[in-house]
Formats: sequence, C-alpha cells, structure tokens
Amino acid sequence: MKLFWSFTRQAFHNTVVYRVEFWIRLVSILLAMYSIRAVWQTLYTQRPDAFGLTLGQMVTYGVLGMALHAFIDTGSEWYIATQVRTGAIDTDLLKPIDFHVHMLARNLGEMLFGMGVMALPTYAIGYFVFGLQLPPDAGAAGLFALSVLLGFLVQFHLGFLLGSVAFATLDIRSIAWAYFAVISFFSGQMVPLWMFPDGLRAVAEILPLQAVYYIPMSIYIGTYSGTAAWSALGFQALWALILAGVARLAWHQVHRRLTVQGG
Amino acid sequence: MIHVEHLTKDYRRVKRREGLFGNLRTLFSAEYEPLRAVNDLSFDIAEGELVGYIGPNGAGKSTSIKMLCGILVPSSGRIEVNGLVPHKNRMANALQIGAVFGQKTQLWWDVPVIESLRLFRDIYKVPEPVYRQNLEMFNDLLGLHEFRDAPVRQLSLGQRMRADMAAALIHNPHLLFLDEPMIGVDVVVKERLRTFIQQVNRERKVTVILTTHDMVDIEKVCSRIMIIDHGQIVYDGDLERIRERYGTTRTLVIEFEESVPDFDAPHARLVKSEGRRKWFAFNRLETSPSALIAHISARYPVADLAVEEPDIEEIVRTVYRGGGPQEAAR
Repeated sequence: MKLFWSFTRQAFHNTVVYRVEFWIRLVSILLAMYSIRAVWQTLYTQRPDAFGLTLGQMVTYGVLGMALHAFIDTGSEWYIATQVRTGAIDTDLLKPIDFHVHMLARNLGEMLFGMGVMALPTYAIGYFVFGLQLPPDAGAAGLFALSVLLGFLVQFHLGFLLGSVAFATLDIRSIAWAYFAVISFFSGQMVPLWMFPDGLRAVAEILPLQAVYYIPMSIYIGTYSGTAAWSALGFQALWALILAGVARLAWHQVHRRLTVQGG
Repeated sequence: MIHVEHLTKDYRRVKRREGLFGNLRTLFSAEYEPLRAVNDLSFDIAEGELVGYIGPNGAGKSTSIKMLCGILVPSSGRIEVNGLVPHKNRMANALQIGAVFGQKTQLWWDVPVIESLRLFRDIYKVPEPVYRQNLEMFNDLLGLHEFRDAPVRQLSLGQRMRADMAAALIHNPHLLFLDEPMIGVDVVVKERLRTFIQQVNRERKVTVILTTHDMVDIEKVCSRIMIIDHGQIVYDGDLERIRERYGTTRTLVIEFEESVPDFDAPHARLVKSEGRRKWFAFNRLETSPSALIAHISARYPVADLAVEEPDIEEIVRTVYRGGGPQEAAR
C-alpha cells in the first residue's frame, strides 16, 4: 500500500511540471462537457420521450463520462511502448518488483492523482455549471466508487496488453489509434449502450469495454441498482481477473523473448 | 559471487530490405537473421573483486551484464549470482545488485532527484536509518546535495551520472554493475567517480564489474580485467600479466648529435625518423635496450635517449585484433 502512495506522490511531482498542459486539459474537458450537454438538450427539445431517461439523467451521464475520462485512462500502453522502443525497459526490470505489479502501482498512483487534481474539479464544475446530478442515494455512490475502481482495472489491463504488443512491433501508434476508436464507442462513454442497434448492442455487452464507462455511470444515474448493479460489478470483476491473467501470461512470454534496444 | 558457464545468447534480427517496396514486403514476410551476441562465455568472479570488463562495441558486454541482472534470458548456459539464477529469480536477484547503465537513466526525468531516490527507497524497502546514512555518504562523496532538488532533465551529464550512481547503491547491494558510467563525463567528475567506486569496493566490500572504453579507468581502478570480443573472453587476468604477455614491444627514441642516414639495428626496426631523432621498435624478449643502445651509440654519437612503454590502450587494441604475443611484438 505504501508503494501505491509513493507512486501517487511521484505522479504528483511528475505532473506539476506541466502546468500549462494541466490547464489545457482542464479547459478541453470543460468544453467537451459543455458541448455534450448542448447536444442532449437539443435532442430532448425535439423528442423528449425517445431516450428512456430524464434530461437530467442523460446530461449527468454525458458530463460524468467526461469527468471519468479525466482520470480513468492513465495511458499505461504509452509508458510500456516508450520504454520498449527506447530500451529503457531494462531499468524497470532492474527493480525488485514484479513488472505487472509495478505498472499497476504506477498507474493506480497516476489515477489517484488524476482523480484528486483533474476529476474532482471537473466534477464540481459539472455539478455547479452543467447540471450534473448527485447519485440517487449513498449506497449507489458507494457502488459507483467500487465500480470505477474495477473499471480502472479493466482499462489498465487492456492498456497493459496493448503496450505488450510493442515488444513485437516496437511501435503501437496505429494499433492504439484503432483501439481508442473502438473503446470510446463500445465503452458507452458518449452514448449509453441501450441506444445501440440490437446487433451492435449484443457485441458491446460481451466485450469488456462497457466495464470502463457504461457500468459505473449506469450505477451512478440509477439505471443499475440492487441485483442488476451487483451482477454488473460481478461482470467487471470477472473481466478484470481474466484480463489480469492474460496480461501476466503475455508478459511472461514477452520477458522470455525480450531483446533490449540500444545495446 | 558470480559463476558463468558456457553462456550463449542469440538474437533474432529482422532483415531490413532496402527502399520503400522492400519495407512493404517486410510487413508481409519478415526474414530473420540470427545474431550471436554472447558465445560460450565462462568466468568466475569472487566476492570483493573490482573487475574491468572491456571489449569493442558490440562485443557482448552489455548483453552479458543484462543476463547477470536477470533482464535478459540466456539462450543456453548457466549463470549464478550469489547463489541465484538471475532470470529465474529476477526480483530476489535485483535486491542484491545495483546497476548504472551510462546511456540511460533510471531516475524519473521530470522529478527532483531526491524524489526518485525516495521512491527507490520504498521499492527496495530500505530501512529509514540506512537510507539516511547512505544519503549522507552520497552527499560527502558525490556531492549529491548540490543538485538533489533539481529534476533530472536539468542536470549536467556529470551530475546525472553521480545521481544514477547514488540510485544504484541506495539499497546496499553486494554487487554493482557499471556499464559505461563514465561516458561523456569530464575529467574532474571522472576522477571523483573513480575514487567513489574504489571506496565503495574497499569499504563496503561491494563486488564491482566496470565496463568502460577509457583505459585510464581500468588502470587506476581495476585489479583484474576481462576482455571480451565476438561474445567470448579473449583475456582474463591482472594488468601486470597483460603487459607482460602483450606489451612486449618497446620503442627506443634516440636523438643524435647530428642528422644521420636511416639504418636498421639488430632485432629492432626503424619506425619513424624526424630531423635528428629516430624511433626504433623492438621486442624486449628478443633484445635488451642496453644492447641496442650500445650497438647504436657505437655507430653514431647519441645526444639523448628514452625508452617508451606501450600504453594499455595500445595493448588492448592488439588483443582486440586477436593478436597473440608474437603478433604484438611485430
């Protein structure tokens, strides 16, 4: 646990250097919040009953998606890919710490930092300015927190696997580009899954991606509650476990074949 | 401390084809060429030794060090570091070793040096008193306090090496791998690092393996040198012996009282002639300097003379080229 805290502290030191970047990110998240609210408001004035939710819930869903985005994706794939491409991976392997645990600690640290510094301000602004609603009750809030953590684990392991591809290809930019297109769609970050056409929805419900945004946000706005919420959490936990297992297997293979760039 | 037996490491390298179409073809069917970086390497290093590990670029130095660190998995052969097989017990092994790779830093780029050290303290679970004591030593010997609050990207190369050296020793390892830690560092810092390495070796009983291209490092610091080329050990022993074996060539420089025509002396070869000075190379196993001087001064009046020993760099160059003692003499 102390290790996670150390990495959080490190993430803080790492990020305070880039103050300009921090402000640019904050502003861009707020812009995205503003525009997603504008879209839903327009759609609701035209067809108020078409979406199965109140406008308040829908705006909450959209705005919350932006606040979550501010910290849940820590970009573990980029770190791994860069270390591999530059050969700096050997300095990571020099440490008496399992690589998978190391990456988890590092990214969890960054997530906690991002939550404190990025997500809480954007959440507050979302609440006061953009009409973000609170969760229906304290229980839902608690389940939401748990669900975000599980969503983070799923997101982290997908990134870890994507980064591991770099050991074979050295460069993951094109693959990452395709991956982001798929995740922002199938995770339900922008549009809830129930609005998908049947075929796509079936695909989205099997994929682990809904664990990242759709499930936590559905719990938050109250469309998942009680048994439905718990089984959704189970779905997330199951995928987190499967992906962690696959990630460890993949890493084991990678380490055996590792060649370090740059002598 | 270290036991290496018949160690071999093969890489597979994608054969690049030339031009755009060649590159496109590589996308579909890559051809690989095998590359043997380390070839049947065997050696032993005892506790407390300070070994200079040298060889030309691409000789397999870094690859073998990375196998000793457990970063790379050998293709075949056996390694033991203090009783552990590094690639099988990478983490346990990591606790007993420290390393500096001169071309890369293990410190966080954007973060003050001291914060990286704090993180390593937590990763290695270094007890607080030990950590403090080590920091004090780094302040004294490396001048760490001068730049401990600056982020790594603002450090000079010399400062960065000193910081990396501190990071490698923060957990009191038994074994220290230094892979070109002096690369690009100025003379003053070099001297400081050399003293530091010796001190750590002597006082803390840390076994050190030092890779360098600077023979002065080897001469000043190391008690033993291992020369590796094409993935194999070509020389292993102390400096005196390498001098005896490979450094048998001497040069006699003579300044004559007036300019004289070129001539050869028995068992010596005229290598250079400049004004009134001449340089004769000879093998000290074939003739002695006094015999040579006697012979020459009997023919022409000599104003001044000096015998030059080959420097270690020259000797090592001979070894790299695969020259045996005989070849070195020629």
